[in-house]
Amino acid sequence: MNQVLEWLQFVLAPQMINGLSIGVAVVLMALGLTIIFGLLDVINMAHGEFYAIGAYVAVAILGLGLSFWWALLLTPVLMAALGYVTERGLIQRVFHSKDRHTLTLLLTFGVAVVLEDVLKIIFGANPLRIESPIPGGTEMLGLFFPNYRLFVMGMGGLVIVAVWLLVFRTSLGAMVRAAAFDRYMSASLGVPVSRVYAGTFAFGVALAGVAGVLLAPIYSVFPTMGRDFVLIAFSVVIIGGMGSIKGAVLAGLLLTQIQSISSLFISPVWNDPLLFGIMVLVLMWRPQGLFGKLGHA
Amino acid sequence: MPDPHISSPRGPSALRVFTYLFFFGALCFALLAKWMGDVFFLRLATEALIFGGLALSVDLLLGRVGLLPLGQALFFGLGAYVSALVLKEWSASFWLSMGITLCVCAIAGLIGGVIAIRAKGVYFALISFGLAQVISKIVFNTRELGASDGIIGVPAVAVVPGVDSGDPLGFFLVTLVIILGLYVGLRYLMETPMGRQLSAIRVNEHRVPFLGFDPWRFKLMAFVGAACIAGVSGALYPMLRGFVSPELMFFQVSGNAVINVIVGGTGTLIGPLYGSVLLTGLRSVVGSFTAHHQIVIGLLFVMVVILFPRGLVGYLAPLLQNRLNLPTRNRGEL
Amino acid sequence: MNTKLIATLVAGAALSLGAAAQTGPIRIGVVTPLSGTYAGIGQQVKWGLDMAANEINAAGGVMGRRLELIYEDEEANPAVAVQKAEKLFQVSKVDFLTGTVNSGSTLAVGQVAERNNRLIATTVSFADTITAEKCSPNVFRVNARAGMQSAALAEWMASTKPNASVFYLGPDYEMGRSTVAAFKAAAEGKGAKTVGEVFAPLDNKDYSPFFGQMRSARPSVIYTSVAGNDTVRLLTQMAEFGLSRNVQIVGASGTVTSQNLSAIGKAADGFVTGVGYTPNIDNPENKKFVGAFEAANKAKPDLYGADSYGVLFFYKAAVEKARSTDTDKVRAAMRGIQWATPQGVKTMRAGDHQAMQDMYAVRVNSGQFEIVGKVPASAAIGPDTCAKF
Repeated sequence: MNQVLEWLQFVLAPQMINGLSIGVAVVLMALGLTIIFGLLDVINMAHGEFYAIGAYVAVAILGLGLSFWWALLLTPVLMAALGYVTERGLIQRVFHSKDRHTLTLLLTFGVAVVLEDVLKIIFGANPLRIESPIPGGTEMLGLFFPNYRLFVMGMGGLVIVAVWLLVFRTSLGAMVRAAAFDRYMSASLGVPVSRVYAGTFAFGVALAGVAGVLLAPIYSVFPTMGRDFVLIAFSVVIIGGMGSIKGAVLAGLLLTQIQSISSLFISPVWNDPLLFGIMVLVLMWRPQGLFGKLGHA
Repeated sequence: MPDPHISSPRGPSALRVFTYLFFFGALCFALLAKWMGDVFFLRLATEALIFGGLALSVDLLLGRVGLLPLGQALFFGLGAYVSALVLKEWSASFWLSMGITLCVCAIAGLIGGVIAIRAKGVYFALISFGLAQVISKIVFNTRELGASDGIIGVPAVAVVPGVDSGDPLGFFLVTLVIILGLYVGLRYLMETPMGRQLSAIRVNEHRVPFLGFDPWRFKLMAFVGAACIAGVSGALYPMLRGFVSPELMFFQVSGNAVINVIVGGTGTLIGPLYGSVLLTGLRSVVGSFTAHHQIVIGLLFVMVVILFPRGLVGYLAPLLQNRLNLPTRNRGEL
Repeated sequence: MNTKLIATLVAGAALSLGAAAQTGPIRIGVVTPLSGTYAGIGQQVKWGLDMAANEINAAGGVMGRRLELIYEDEEANPAVAVQKAEKLFQVSKVDFLTGTVNSGSTLAVGQVAERNNRLIATTVSFADTITAEKCSPNVFRVNARAGMQSAALAEWMASTKPNASVFYLGPDYEMGRSTVAAFKAAAEGKGAKTVGEVFAPLDNKDYSPFFGQMRSARPSVIYTSVAGNDTVRLLTQMAEFGLSRNVQIVGASGTVTSQNLSAIGKAADGFVTGVGYTPNIDNPENKKFVGAFEAANKAKPDLYGADSYGVLFFYKAAVEKARSTDTDKVRAAMRGIQWATPQGVKTMRAGDHQAMQDMYAVRVNSGQFEIVGKVPASAAIGPDTCAKF
């Protein structure tokens, strides 16, 4: 009995807390992606690159001598501007064709290719790092856990709650959901639909940027970092249901827990195939994911 | 706008013109290269044709059935590995290698298709992408397959008596015949009832069952066909270069194939061949000038998606068709 | 026009064309990753080669002929490397080729070299197979291979921490696993104990799932063969979680290099590895080299830059010994040749085309690679297992 309790405390619990910190990171990424798809019907293959740009923007801000907290504050603003411009300048142009899904996927894919090389030109190919703003750790459950990771979990949780409140409890959020549900009706009711679209895209991009800043001290910064999260973010969004915030959060936390706990028993090399397998099964059984679209959530 | 796919009553279809142009252009190129004693450009062109075959398989799915595959390199690499293994470990026979590759890729296509076909649109793209990621990682780690170094030492093979895969001109012509053969076969297939089925599925899949057909079977057949085409093209690669490596299955190759199709002309089938030749040449030339060739290709791609979504051939073919139909139009037949 | 004048002109032209074959520049092709993940290594390779070519040309070239470097980007992809190598051999007609970084590219380009009857040398690839099971008569290696690096490190570990308990963490692919296996064999041969072994996926973001295992194994030494960005994450995360206290971290020579050192920062202090080069080697040649390198490139040379610098001197010595650039003559000259490098004098072993050199154990300390141990060339090299020639 004692052995089981020990195992639970010293092996399983730390693993689950680790899984939670990874999970919050994944959810932040998946949130932006699902909002962009849920409203705009746009598959943003460049989402990983926006995450990378967020991290690099933070590096640049720190390079100017400002503190990490300024970077955390300013990066989402800058990323939102970038997102707005991207949506207005590029995505709008292919939006009205009947092949919208394919074209936006291809367009954002091309944008991702270009952005990755641009980052390499500006910042060089070698990895960079931001010092952790909250050094040290706390002793929890007999395990030493870094303070900054606890902060990221807390901050990430706050962001998720804030997003949910914004979308479901404010009139701005109501406008966004209305435009997702029926754009022509909303337009005739006075909702500035094209600005709402651009603004939502900007918001999703800003979320990716926030993820980039928060995770930079943990995962370091390098030009191909955008690819780190692509597969898992898309899988989470698909399993949770494209456009569903609740789905993204639940699926994100659940899947990272599954990965964490399973790596106690099988080699972590199987994490990705496991995830992929779950995604295929979910698609076969319930093609729209666990929960519904943004407009209907 | 006249349909470039259909021959007009008085003249050839524009696409047929493009096909002839491609074939004769390739022959002229081969003659010129032979006269100049060149080896490198012939092999580069052969490589462009091989990747053109992969682009062809992507266009079958994207342009004809309406499914975007982001992991087609999986079957390409599979064909390459099977071919390399047969040639190196079993017997240096061209036909044996091609035959076994065809069988293996058909089976793999069947399994992959059953998993992927249920999904549509972006879900299909992601399953295709995920499949390629997972399998390529497994190959990357398998020591028996050479792991990250791949397999070197694949011997040259005799295709027909007198033509050897080490011979640049001979193998270029063999590859040209094979790839164009695949193309012609596909064009013929598109004219048959099955081909019409696929077009119907692309236009509006929900209506097809009301006509009495099961879209799932046709989509699966198309998927297996695309897998075989990609695999056969891939099988030619180790014959040309003498080695295979896991990078042949990576997303870079799948992504390049999609770019080739979009730039060349989705749905035209000959467009992807043009696209592959054009972009392989471009990548080689630009790559020698600057290390930032990715940006150039990426920007070109973005521009094509925004401004010319139908691609090079997709844009030029209707124009050509107009001119070809001109004589009949004067007689009031349009 | 005057026929005599024409004849003289034609004769003159013919003579100079013929003479150009013997007095024109010696072309050296360089196929190296200038974009992609390994661009940092490719940059060091380029710096080293450029510097060596400039020095050699300033001193009169090789047998009176200038060295001309022609660069192509291989994008760390063997398929691209093969294409570019063929272009260099066939179109640019290079006499010699170097620069490949990953072992897959080196092996594949070696095949192309065989087909074109030319020689290549690698200055970065450290997979043992290149000069062992998969050796080729046209491929030479001037840098140290994995077995040599492990020998130096194992020797240091046995002398400073006898009977250490070692925990192994490597990236789960062929190179990562074989590096761990090679060091494990060397270490256990000198009395070390293995208390755990775990493999993480390549490009793994988060190593915290492994820390529980690591902690409970209570090792005195942790060996890792991760590289590049993975090292940055592993070492910084280990420091975050307090795992680097009271533990000696050692690793492969590619684990901490000048490309990722600044990103790892303080978390790298105390890391020890076995390498063939460090800027801290104390001899006049190296000091001159490091000074000139820093002045030209605003960065210190690392093992890739130094070995790439040395390869042109290797080629120069061989061509001068053979009095020709003909492939067979140069190959014969290369076997057994000795040449001076910033690391001292290296010898090219004839049996497997592997360079022999003294190996060092170095420790990272505030951005410097300090020397803490040395193993002579003969002890480090290991047996000749190449059976192809």
